[in-house]
Amino acid sequence: MTRHLVAAVAIVVGAASAASAQPTDNRRIATRSAEDEGIAFRPFVMGTEQTFAATHTFEAVFGRSHEPFFGGGLQVVKSRYFAEVVASRFRKTGERAVRVNNETFRLGLPLTAEITPFDVIGGYRFDLRPNQVIVPYAGAGIGTYAYKEFSPSSDPDENIDTRHSGFVLMGGVEFRLHRWVRLGVDEQYTRVPGILGLAGLSKAAAEDNLGGIAFRFKVVVGR
Amino acid sequence: MGSLRARFAWIALAIAAEVIAAHGQSPVERHVIFQNVGLPAVDEGLIVDETHAPGTREARKRAAMRAALSRQTERPMVRCVPGRVVVKFHDQATDADRQSALAAVSSTATIDPRPSYADFDLVSMDQTADVEAAAAELTRQPAVEYAQASYGGWRTLLVPNDPLYATRQWNLPLINLERAWDLQPQAGSAITVAVLDTGIAYQNATLIENIPAFRDDAGNRYPALGRVTIPYAGATQLMAPGRFVSPFDFIWNNAVPLDYDGHGTHVTGTIGQLTNDGIGTAGVAFNVKIMPVKVIDGVWDFLFGAPNVATDDVVARGIRYAADNGANIINMSIGRTGPPNSSAVIEGAIQYAVSKGVFFAIASGNEFEEGNPLEVIAEIASRVDGAVAVAAVDRNRAHAYYSNTGSYVELSAPGGSERGFGRDGFVFQQTFDFNFTDTFLLPPTQYAAPRFDVHAYIGYIGTSMATPHVAGVAAMMMQQGIKSPAAIEAVLKDTAVDLGAPGRDDTFGFGLVDARAALRGQGPAR
Repeated sequence: MTRHLVAAVAIVVGAASAASAQPTDNRRIATRSAEDEGIAFRPFVMGTEQTFAATHTFEAVFGRSHEPFFGGGLQVVKSRYFAEVVASRFRKTGERAVRVNNETFRLGLPLTAEITPFDVIGGYRFDLRPNQVIVPYAGAGIGTYAYKEFSPSSDPDENIDTRHSGFVLMGGVEFRLHRWVRLGVDEQYTRVPGILGLAGLSKAAAEDNLGGIAFRFKVVVGR
Repeated sequence: MGSLRARFAWIALAIAAEVIAAHGQSPVERHVIFQNVGLPAVDEGLIVDETHAPGTREARKRAAMRAALSRQTERPMVRCVPGRVVVKFHDQATDADRQSALAAVSSTATIDPRPSYADFDLVSMDQTADVEAAAAELTRQPAVEYAQASYGGWRTLLVPNDPLYATRQWNLPLINLERAWDLQPQAGSAITVAVLDTGIAYQNATLIENIPAFRDDAGNRYPALGRVTIPYAGATQLMAPGRFVSPFDFIWNNAVPLDYDGHGTHVTGTIGQLTNDGIGTAGVAFNVKIMPVKVIDGVWDFLFGAPNVATDDVVARGIRYAADNGANIINMSIGRTGPPNSSAVIEGAIQYAVSKGVFFAIASGNEFEEGNPLEVIAEIASRVDGAVAVAAVDRNRAHAYYSNTGSYVELSAPGGSERGFGRDGFVFQQTFDFNFTDTFLLPPTQYAAPRFDVHAYIGYIGTSMATPHVAGVAAMMMQQGIKSPAAIEAVLKDTAVDLGAPGRDDTFGFGLVDARAALRGQGPAR
């Protein structure tokens, strides 16, 4: 996880350094350009490959610890600052399992887990020049995470339908593909305590974070 | 009329069998079994008036008879076998090392030919030798890994009485079994459970026996019955095609481990009685394969002239046999008391079997009101990951009055109790109607040859009855995918319903087995 974060920070810093290493005139022009712009509303769709922090927990149920999320949101850009709201969803059916002495036994009994994050993130875009093709950005925020867990073999009160809050750190770069279309690639770290670690496989594995590291692709529409 | 015809047919068959025996067997042969020759069992249905419970007059009489008979034979039921020590030499020990070790103990000690299914040897020495002292001395020899006396005193841990799932089998719902069957309707069909016990009534047969005279514990003389033909029928609610695998009898040294007591048959019923067939009672893992391994002798084994009695080495060989022949679970509703760590040979056998992926359910003993002595084998179970010592609860989930307590108790299961419940407190399964088998309990004037073809649903009580509940649930867990014995033990403990003092305690262990919870596993968060 640390490796991912370092990589994300390096991408942002590197890209930001590259973007800032321009002649003074250009910087002045870019600054002026950004200040001249009003508020931009930019909707986006997103695909995510999330590596769960609760590695053993999700490997036990799904046989692997990274899963795709899909969603979308709206980004609001003002000058070099941005805010975005994003909703995504993951849903998959695996198997109930037991974990004993670091060994996992999958039991063939279906279990479906559904995670629906809703994040609000604010950040800074290193948008320093007019018509800059590559724009690094970084941000942080909070999220609320809905979690459902249900099995055909469960009684209603044995299923889980809960929601908890967490925080988000993210950084990445945005590629300008077209005047109105951009591709954002970023890494996002989330920490969501309060759902895992209290019972079930996550307790056996001593894992309490529903979040993890997500590698996100965003297709952004807007200027 | 039909019944009369059946009786005539049986008599004719018996005569034929006798003729065959006369021509085919040595005149001195005392014990002849014609397998699969005989009529099916007479099913008497539910009998609520016959019960097997610890401390009953019948139970005491059986034990006394067994002791009295042992005094009259050359195969005494003793604390340990005179002149015999069980020895495990180090693998690298040479013949010279072994002889040197023996010489240090006794000038007459010799190593017997190694019996089958043993990683140990039996050393014979002077019958008057102190075998426990000899074992202690042998253990000090560099060539020896361990040595112990060949302890006897093995017995079943039952306590019997009365019937039928909806009306009588309170014990199965008590461990949340109905909802476990919902999760796994196949109920253990891929799993083999070895039942180390008094044998099982697993097939029809006709026995030819030469029964000698004997005196009971009160000194009453029972006449010799001479050569008699005895009908034997398998328990109809256990028998199904392909059900029984790799049977073996370590009391008789043959592959026909017939039950002449009823205990093993009853225990097997709780593990895997045929279920959902509209007849009688239900079993826990009702589709498992059963491996009958007879390691416990009863009164009739004595009177029929069995060459072996239940000793540590016999039981250890039974354990190894089961492990080597594909058993996944071993049920031991048997045990003996004694000092701790007094059975290295059993501990070695259990460790060996667990290393081959076998899970053990072992009874924790019925002597709570007789001083609560240490149950040696259950104590071993508590130290082995993959073996559990099982205590008994009554139908109110309270401590069953006879169930031993101690630090070795790991789990609880329904063993039953008549106190406060009468006949409704027993664990019912199909086994022999002991009015037809335990004829030695009658006065000498009424004494007759037994018949083992009359079955009924009889109630028993004991940790013997609790243990097969755990073995059955373990079989279902293994089928569900929990292949490791240690993991099965951990999950059983983790999912047990806590009883008594919070957490583990010496009365209930980790609590009452919950079949559904054990089988259902977990999700990420619950």
